[in-house]
Amino acid sequence: MKEIIFKCLRCGHEYVGLYDKKIPEEHTCPKCSSNSIRPMTKIPLNKS
Amino acid sequence: MMDVGRHPKINLLTYSEIENIGGYIGNFNVTVRKKARFVNEKDCNACNECEKVCPVVVPDEFQQGFSSRKAIYMPFPQAVPSSYILNNENCLGHNPIACGKCADVCEKNCIDFDMQDEIINLEVGAIITATGMDVYDPTEMDEYGYTRFENVVTSIEFERLISAGGPTMGHFIRPSDKKTPLKIGFIQCVGSRSQSKKGNPYCSNICCMNTIKDTLLLKEHYPAVEITVFYIDIRAFGKGFENFYQRSRQAGVRYVRGLPGEIFEDPKSKNLVLLAEDTVANTVLDYEFDLVVLSVGVIPRRDSELIRKLLTLSRTEDGFFMESHPKLKPVDAPTGGVFFAGCAESPKDVKESVTQASAAAARAQILLNAGQISVEAITSECIEDLCTGCQVCVAVCPFHAITGGNAKTKTPIQIIEAACKGCGTCAAECNFDALTMRHFEDSQILAQIDAVTQNNSRSKVLVFACNWCSYGGADLAGLSRLQYPDSQRIIRTMCSGRVDTKFILHAFEKGAPIVLVSGCHFVDCHYIDANRWTQKRVEKLWDRMDRLGIRPERLQLEWISAAEGQKWARTMKELEEMRKSVTAKEIKQTQEILKAEKEKEAARKALKREKSDKKSAKAAGVLA
Repeated sequence: MKEIIFKCLRCGHEYVGLYDKKIPEEHTCPKCSSNSIRPMTKIPLNKS
Repeated sequence: MMDVGRHPKINLLTYSEIENIGGYIGNFNVTVRKKARFVNEKDCNACNECEKVCPVVVPDEFQQGFSSRKAIYMPFPQAVPSSYILNNENCLGHNPIACGKCADVCEKNCIDFDMQDEIINLEVGAIITATGMDVYDPTEMDEYGYTRFENVVTSIEFERLISAGGPTMGHFIRPSDKKTPLKIGFIQCVGSRSQSKKGNPYCSNICCMNTIKDTLLLKEHYPAVEITVFYIDIRAFGKGFENFYQRSRQAGVRYVRGLPGEIFEDPKSKNLVLLAEDTVANTVLDYEFDLVVLSVGVIPRRDSELIRKLLTLSRTEDGFFMESHPKLKPVDAPTGGVFFAGCAESPKDVKESVTQASAAAARAQILLNAGQISVEAITSECIEDLCTGCQVCVAVCPFHAITGGNAKTKTPIQIIEAACKGCGTCAAECNFDALTMRHFEDSQILAQIDAVTQNNSRSKVLVFACNWCSYGGADLAGLSRLQYPDSQRIIRTMCSGRVDTKFILHAFEKGAPIVLVSGCHFVDCHYIDANRWTQKRVEKLWDRMDRLGIRPERLQLEWISAAEGQKWARTMKELEEMRKSVTAKEIKQTQEILKAEKEKEAARKALKREKSDKKSAKAAGVLA
């Protein structure tokens, strides 16, 4: 698992969380509780 | 159990483990490892002579460690078969040389140190999963002092202490001084209905009645004992349960509505002191007990993940196995030919377990008697001419219903229709359109998208909803008269796993401003893990949309259960706001992008086909 930025495609909220492509998990936006969470795997954490 | 052991048509395999399960409904192949007992169970007459001479003494698991057993022992008094067993790990010097005292005294020569594990292959038509449950270990709830204080015991340990077959032969004593306790406190919901990180959020179903039974048992044997039960709610909902509860109250058992925060021990007397608020009387009182019993909750078997993998089952959020349908198929597993009995599926008392076991036996009997099965028409179908044998579908099928396929030899895959449940994940993942779902074919879904987007597409939100959960959520929102915008148009699929990337892109191409893919929550997926593939697919598509210059926000994903009508309504309101933000210009741009993309894709495919044809022609020429 690695730390990446997640972006909520409903409210636009961005947050950092753990992500493993091989172990899919249900993601929920901590702000609006939507499940439309895009893992921004290509954006390095320090550039957030 | 004795009847089962003696039944001529029941083959009882004890001390055995399942190593592998293959096949499908009506044709399961089960590999069982029958572990070596080192005692011939047919000849052993449980004379007890071997146990007397065995020099190894270890804690007795069945008696919760309150007494000891030998390395050769009878697991419990009513064990079937009624035969001794030699624990390989406990036996002194068994590897490489045993002391052999047990073998020396055994007149029937039952002990065989060379006995090996036996592998048994069985062919069965149906499987009933009755793997039971474990109990919650309250050690993590440090406030109750379990394992720190000798006189804090669990309800299971209490059962052994009061049982006539227990370590004290039914003489109830407390562990610290072996005296009969006169003041006993029971604490309910230990590890159940927990809002904190410790314990589980669900009700364990059986603890209230178990405690009531224990209090009556105590009052019957020791009328002078003072008993106090601390509880959140007493859940006495079964037939005759309320009477049972009232009997306990009338017998003098005190019920306090409120759980103690912490238990302290008097180091001298080893008595237990606790402070608890009675929320009914609105008072806070100190209590002192000789013994405290923690009424521990029920948890799924710790090795249930192994069974889940072997049988390709699903587990609900609480960790118990998920049934095919909570109301209509409560004993069926999502995998055909597999049924549940007892606590494997959820916490249950004896009566409920017997009821479910009877139902499961009847369901299995129906299947076996039929001789042949009728599967639902919604199954996957392979178009062999298009199949390249790449096996992507084999990897994604949650039910292992697809076999074969070889990319090198271009051998097409084969579908075991009896095992296929019709989630459609294979069809959505196939890159060559070689798989189709009966009644949910690509052409049918694309036609629905065309119909939705035919007129004034900009005013509509296209929703793909799974049959079991999201569609149920929409239904509940309607039944509950919840107000939400009427802009959404639902296309139902059996599972969100069926929603192919091309359906979504087709919708955008046809002018849909927003597309929502919705399905069951991960733990509720009726097709084991099919919706994980949905999420992966949508995540990939978001990246692709980004690359193409289409706002990924226009593709939304939501997990909505059949009980979440409110979530459905809220999502629709939010999507309506998003829909309004999509301009006609943006939709037109998207359509142009996708049209160009489609042309590029067609050109790529044509080139590939041309190359392939040339290669084939060359190969044919060489052969000629």
